[in-house]
Amino acid sequence: MSDWRRIDIDAFDPESGRLTAQDLIPPYSHVITAQELQPKIQQLRSLSSSGDISSAIKLATNDPPYSADDATKAQYMMAVLETLTQVRQADITNILKGLNPQEQVVLVKYLYKGMSITEGQKQGGILLAWFEKLTQVAGVTPIVHYLSDRQTV
Amino acid sequence: MLPNVNDKSVLAVFKLVKAPIYSHCFSSDRSLLAITCETSCLVYRLTNINSQPKLVATLANHDKTITAVDISIHGRIVTCSQDRNAYVWEPLSDGSYKPTLVLLRINRAATSVSWAPNGYKFAVGSSARIIAVCYYEQENNWWVSKHIKKPIKSTINCLSWHENGVLLAAGGTDGFIRVFSGFIKGLDTKEAVAGSPWGSKFPFGSLIKELYQGSYIHDVEWRSKIEKVAYVAHDGTLNILDSQGGLQSVNSPDGLPFRSLAWINDHEIVCAGYSCHPILFSEASQGWKFAKNLDKVADAAQTPVATGEGEEGEDDNGTFGISALRKFKELDLKGKVTTSVKESAHENAIMELAPFAESNGQVTQISSCGLDGKIVLYTV
Repeated sequence: MSDWRRIDIDAFDPESGRLTAQDLIPPYSHVITAQELQPKIQQLRSLSSSGDISSAIKLATNDPPYSADDATKAQYMMAVLETLTQVRQADITNILKGLNPQEQVVLVKYLYKGMSITEGQKQGGILLAWFEKLTQVAGVTPIVHYLSDRQTV
Repeated sequence: MLPNVNDKSVLAVFKLVKAPIYSHCFSSDRSLLAITCETSCLVYRLTNINSQPKLVATLANHDKTITAVDISIHGRIVTCSQDRNAYVWEPLSDGSYKPTLVLLRINRAATSVSWAPNGYKFAVGSSARIIAVCYYEQENNWWVSKHIKKPIKSTINCLSWHENGVLLAAGGTDGFIRVFSGFIKGLDTKEAVAGSPWGSKFPFGSLIKELYQGSYIHDVEWRSKIEKVAYVAHDGTLNILDSQGGLQSVNSPDGLPFRSLAWINDHEIVCAGYSCHPILFSEASQGWKFAKNLDKVADAAQTPVATGEGEEGEDDNGTFGISALRKFKELDLKGKVTTSVKESAHENAIMELAPFAESNGQVTQISSCGLDGKIVLYTV
């Protein structure tokens, strides 16, 4: 018992009410499944392959699948990443100006997520271009929202 | 410190201590000021706002950092601390204070404290996922507490009592804003909450309303007359909730989160936090929006400060931390800082706002305390 300072006293107290990872998940009324999300992913792919990046970004940043499991989120992420990387640099600012504040916040989430996965890191330059233009348009507000939000993409 | 000459909103600046002031409170006649300073609570007498407040008492029973202080309408001071205790300090005729320990029965730090409007009970928020509602028990000559536990999931950061002394709003790090009932039998009457739009039954500890905000909630404040509750969160928003669950939300103009808020009237709120100056919001027909900055230091771009040649680095883009950067460059090159650098009254984050003067239901002056150890009075 020499290392008594490291004893986890909460483990001995069932009433301790210690915060678990489960407690931090926001309350969702409905958990979206991979099947339910498929049509949206298809639509996103077809929009971005037809070159209508602006509409594709709008679609991607509206009602993102916050409640889905990690695998479903990853599928959606790949579709968003394709859209993000197909843009011409010159168009970025105009697309961003067409987004409302909520959509900008969601976009920041996808940019950070993109930079955190290997597929996104291969396209790091374009993600950073998005990021730079976004901070010029919207300032730090969407980043502050992203940092404090428990609804993750 | 150079006062911001272009801004008349700063009435007085009192640099009181060399430590952060997490919380402050004026007595109801505004003659006494209590602040937190590390493990003590310091009580000052304020004769007028043009002279420095005089230290009259040091309340030093806590042995860990004091997190919050409040003064009741009867002049009783309550302090709570990270040592898991709260003390009620009864003013004596010779100007000293007699402490009474409050049995909080919590096993984590106490984080916030608030007297009910009638001054007969108070609530303490804690990291133990508990709100302790404390009241005086005549028979035992002791302050006892009743706990509100469910469904709090994490630390409580802030508390606010409704004018009726029953409804208690609380926000914390679990991202929920909640309204509880703090009804104590024998102290409160059912008449106080008769016809309340928030509910019909108010047994102690019952959850009246709950809303998920998602980020840490730093401060919450009732506007009892119009049955609304406003709160600020770490995502930089000010939110106003009504009894039907309707929510209005507005972003901080510069993106930085607020730590505190104060209602000015039914349609105006002042917020302050990490941007070091207060910001006024007002309600128009399209909802709440930014109205004006108080004591804001002009952007570097608008006030060209003489810079030596060769200083225009690519990092000089006028957005992030530019004044600090310039300060260090000046120090480096000339060994001093140019006198033309302007500072806002608070040099660090503002922790708490409180109404200071009112006329006709309109708050005209507010007080603030900050991490820079200052108390500032602003005119709105």
